Amino acid sequence: MAIPSVKESGYRKNFSLIATFIGLISVLFILSLFLAFTFSKKKIEGDFISAKTNVLEESIKPYNDFFLNKLPEISYYNGYLDSGTAAKFVDTILLKYPFVKRVVFFDAQIRNERYEENGLNVGSFSAGMKSVYQFGPYVSSDSVKIFGPNSVINNTTLENFNELALKLYTFIHKLDTTKMPTQEDLFSNFSNIKPNRIDYFNIPRFEDLKVYRQMITKKLPSEPVYQQDMLSFELDPSKIKIRNNRPLLYQSVRIEPVTYDPLETSSEYETGEITLGGPFSAYKLYFISSKSFIKKEILSYFFPIAALILIFYALLLLVAFLIYRNLNINHKMFKLQYDFLTNLTHEFKTPVSVIKIAGNNIKSATSITPREQKLYGKILDEEADKLNGLMNKLLAFTQIENKAIKLNEDRINIKEFIESTIDVHQLKYPDFKLSYEISNLTHFITDPVLLGSLFDNLVENAYKYSPPDRKQLHITARLIKDKIVLRFKDAGIGIPPSEINNIFRKFYRVQNQYNQAGSVGLGLAFCKELVNFMKGEITVHSIVNKGTEFKIVLPYIN
Amino acid sequence: MIGVRKYVWLLVTVACFACNKEQKVREIPVNDFFKTQDKAIYRLSPNGKYLSYLTIIDKNQYLIVEDLEHGTQTKISKLEERNISFYYWVSNQEILYYKEKEGSRFQTDLYIVNKDGTDERLLNADAKSKIRLLEDQLIDDKFLLVTSNKRDSTIFDVYRLNVRDGKMTIAAKNPGNFTNWLTDSKGKLRMAISTDGVNESVWYRENENKPFQKIITNNFKTTLQPVAFAEQDPNTFYAISNVNRDKNALVEIDCTNGKEKSVLFSNDTLNVVEAQYSKRRGKMDFVIYETWKKEKHYLDEESKKLYHKLEKLIPEAESRIIHQDKNEQLFIIRTFTGRSPGAYYLYYAKNNSLKKLSDINSSIKEEEMCEMKPISYITADGFKINGYLTLPLGVKPKNLPVVVMPHNGPGQRNVWGFNADVQFLANRGYAVLQVNYRGSTGYGKEFYAAGFKEWGLKIQQDVDAGVKWLIDQKIADPQRVAIYGNGFGGLIAINNAIANSKMYKCAAANTGILNLFSYLKAIPPFLTSKLQMYYEVVGNPDKDAEYMRQASPVFHAGKVKIPLFITQNPKDPRINGNDAVQFVKELKKLGKPVTYLEKEDSRSVLNREEARKKSYAALELFLLENLNKR
Repeated sequence: MAIPSVKESGYRKNFSLIATFIGLISVLFILSLFLAFTFSKKKIEGDFISAKTNVLEESIKPYNDFFLNKLPEISYYNGYLDSGTAAKFVDTILLKYPFVKRVVFFDAQIRNERYEENGLNVGSFSAGMKSVYQFGPYVSSDSVKIFGPNSVINNTTLENFNELALKLYTFIHKLDTTKMPTQEDLFSNFSNIKPNRIDYFNIPRFEDLKVYRQMITKKLPSEPVYQQDMLSFELDPSKIKIRNNRPLLYQSVRIEPVTYDPLETSSEYETGEITLGGPFSAYKLYFISSKSFIKKEILSYFFPIAALILIFYALLLLVAFLIYRNLNINHKMFKLQYDFLTNLTHEFKTPVSVIKIAGNNIKSATSITPREQKLYGKILDEEADKLNGLMNKLLAFTQIENKAIKLNEDRINIKEFIESTIDVHQLKYPDFKLSYEISNLTHFITDPVLLGSLFDNLVENAYKYSPPDRKQLHITARLIKDKIVLRFKDAGIGIPPSEINNIFRKFYRVQNQYNQAGSVGLGLAFCKELVNFMKGEITVHSIVNKGTEFKIVLPYIN
Repeated sequence: MIGVRKYVWLLVTVACFACNKEQKVREIPVNDFFKTQDKAIYRLSPNGKYLSYLTIIDKNQYLIVEDLEHGTQTKISKLEERNISFYYWVSNQEILYYKEKEGSRFQTDLYIVNKDGTDERLLNADAKSKIRLLEDQLIDDKFLLVTSNKRDSTIFDVYRLNVRDGKMTIAAKNPGNFTNWLTDSKGKLRMAISTDGVNESVWYRENENKPFQKIITNNFKTTLQPVAFAEQDPNTFYAISNVNRDKNALVEIDCTNGKEKSVLFSNDTLNVVEAQYSKRRGKMDFVIYETWKKEKHYLDEESKKLYHKLEKLIPEAESRIIHQDKNEQLFIIRTFTGRSPGAYYLYYAKNNSLKKLSDINSSIKEEEMCEMKPISYITADGFKINGYLTLPLGVKPKNLPVVVMPHNGPGQRNVWGFNADVQFLANRGYAVLQVNYRGSTGYGKEFYAAGFKEWGLKIQQDVDAGVKWLIDQKIADPQRVAIYGNGFGGLIAINNAIANSKMYKCAAANTGILNLFSYLKAIPPFLTSKLQMYYEVVGNPDKDAEYMRQASPVFHAGKVKIPLFITQNPKDPRINGNDAVQFVKELKKLGKPVTYLEKEDSRSVLNREEARKKSYAALELFLLENLNKR
């Protein structure tokens, strides 16, 4: 039997193609790793510059809250703040905003009458202080009142007041009394933002501002006195709590004066800075990280990306391998089918050629003796049987495989069944020694035709693959628990272990001298299909030159 | 079986649908509730020959004088953009009226005009001062008594105004703290009320040549309100007084020493709110006391007869005499009920007949409005709180969404009668609860004083107790209660929302007071004499700063937990517009749900209607979103 070459079959083995594919994706893999690393580096270096604003925003949040929400609360008191209420108000501020160091509260008045030393006088408009108090963690309780009756002598400057009072005056002087000023306008004119200090006047109603405006030009007969509260907040930028929300990026964040620029910063460090706004404009946030620190952050950014690429690469490899394996299996299948076709042709050829010779002989013979006639008749009959058997087997197998037949359920007597099988084969092969043994079992329900086929195949196989002097088979049938166990033990040539896994495959034949004639390699595959169909299992145990034992386990139905 | 059950279900569903349909209440447009009257301020000329009223034709306001005998009408004045806020017949020939000034809230110009519309004269046009008529009778055929603050914006003096040439001569100089003046039946200025902020005094003089003498002084918590001089007894006057008693009574007081001479009407449980004096008869007609609604107690048989006749003619509604001629032959009557704003009638005493003049609001159909029922409950600390409950039509009074409406203040109360706000909410399916929390007037001295400096404290608890009562009655759905108020009602609404966010689903403040400091700061100059009184009622910023801080919502944005609805008119001189803006800003920054609406204060009726529609629609949506989601 000739084995067809791969090329002739039309199939191509694409080892080179697969190799090229793997090569290419490997290049891609390395390239993407490289790109990912470069990207990570650029990203982290960019972050070092851009994330600064984020840190600034987070750190300055309490200040913004203080400035936008807490300061306007002073206006809610409409000038009615006194030292007691102011102290309570300031306490909440000192507690909540640690960067407020000291608060000076000016209990002030706007009137037409001049203030001699303690205020601002422009025309008939006078803004002056009644009393001044200071609050803060470092203010001792006996030095709270720093101006006014019974105040403590103090060297604190009260200049802040005049500064903001002048701003207030300028605003009122220019005030358009027909149009209400916007809130932003009012807020900016009633507050003064200085380095490390914020002064804030309570914002009066528009109606009051109109009166203030009149008070600039003339003395009002009603001699009005308006209460104004000014609070001056001294701020300490070093108490701003830095919220480093990128601790892996910035090794250290500090508050430094704007002028801070150390010489000794070596090339081992990466630095950055961003100016704090408002009253803290003389200070900046100073960011510093060592190069190795940044490298760590780059790597920690790079590794997940690399892992992703790696997983992707591994998946590609796996797919390539699976495609290769499938191709290989298909190729083997093709080879098997090809073999089968060759074998089958061969099988069919022998009887056909014998029939042809017999036919030719009969045709060319002038006369046929009764002996010749008997001989040819016998030959034709036998060869036709062979062909019929071959075809039946092929048909049955296809049916079973496609599940085109139905399982009949008959109650059979196992003893009678085995004995009849043995009788048939004993008749066929007088030199075949068959024996059997049954325990715990008399009847069970199954399809007798299928079971017969199974027995026939296994018995035939046992005979076929045994040397002439050891043609024997022992059949046992047992009921173990709820399973029927059938064993077919012969003393034949056995099956080499390397072939054990293949014997149940279609069209597979072990290469040996016994299966040259009348075998297509369907027998055992057919048996396996039958057993599967009957919801059972078939296994084989074999020793070369000693014998083979097939074990069939079927469900017991009674 | 299943088939039968299906059939039953179908029946039930159909039945439900049917009854739903039956109970469907028409949703009345917002502006229908608040329509301005077509015809308003009806007056009769002293001789009863002419009827006058204000009306709007093609968006312009006219003053109409109707000759009752001949039925002819005269358009006296056409006023573009400027409205007459009030007018008087000063004689049978002349009418005096105020015209509002554009862009100012408190000032008005005073005009006089002949009844046929000729010869309109401006009597007073001082941009800075206010002028008010004290007595609508002409003296010597040319003088009117008026009060004006033209000398000093914080002080009102009494002037004799010559209606012929507009000249004003001072009749009585106010020493500074006089707030009210009283004339006798001859138009002589003989009594004045003064206040130092906390204490109120009554001053008397025998005739105009003598100086005023102080006769009585009372704390402002005590009421002593002169009604009229007694005609028969020259040294006696009638007054509504609760001196030495809890509830107001009508008493006679001796002018010379201020002592109570006799009690005309007094009852331990009834509080007198009004007293009617007849100049013609020179007698007290009746007193009006107010329980859940106002009722009359007659002191004069003639007046009793008159009112009984009226009640027979108008049996279904309350009626009030708005105006009458000098001989008391013709009367202008106004009617109303809790479900109807009512109408104006002209009543002829001679033949006991009525003539309908006009409806107050013709868009309101009484059968579509809801009944306003008096309720009361007891608070944990033993106060009896009275109020009103208005239930929506067409639904069972069970598990309803509720809007609680604390009234404005200080020194006000909810009264029984047609209330457009309440009817609007009830028409939208809400039960409306109004409570006269402690500090409300009309329940005696003690109850009034109990509310002092209790904003955000006990007043708040009184309102909460009302909600709890309504929940206990199973009328309110505890999951769907909102609180809504104007002015001080708004302050209560937001304070309650902050303090008791579990009870209320949402809170709304319509031009609400958000800051007590600002409220005191914004008291206008002519009320500064009453500042000490305000300090006692609302809080003294010098002494009670901590309490005022606690009771002012503006300080507590951080504690707000439920959705708020806030409107304000930023141009309102009585508030500090920054408060609300800053408050809303802070709420938004904290991520609290808040709806903010700026209301334009527009003179034009059309714009005003548009603005009102917008703000009520927003309120309606706000309530719907927060109360109808379960």
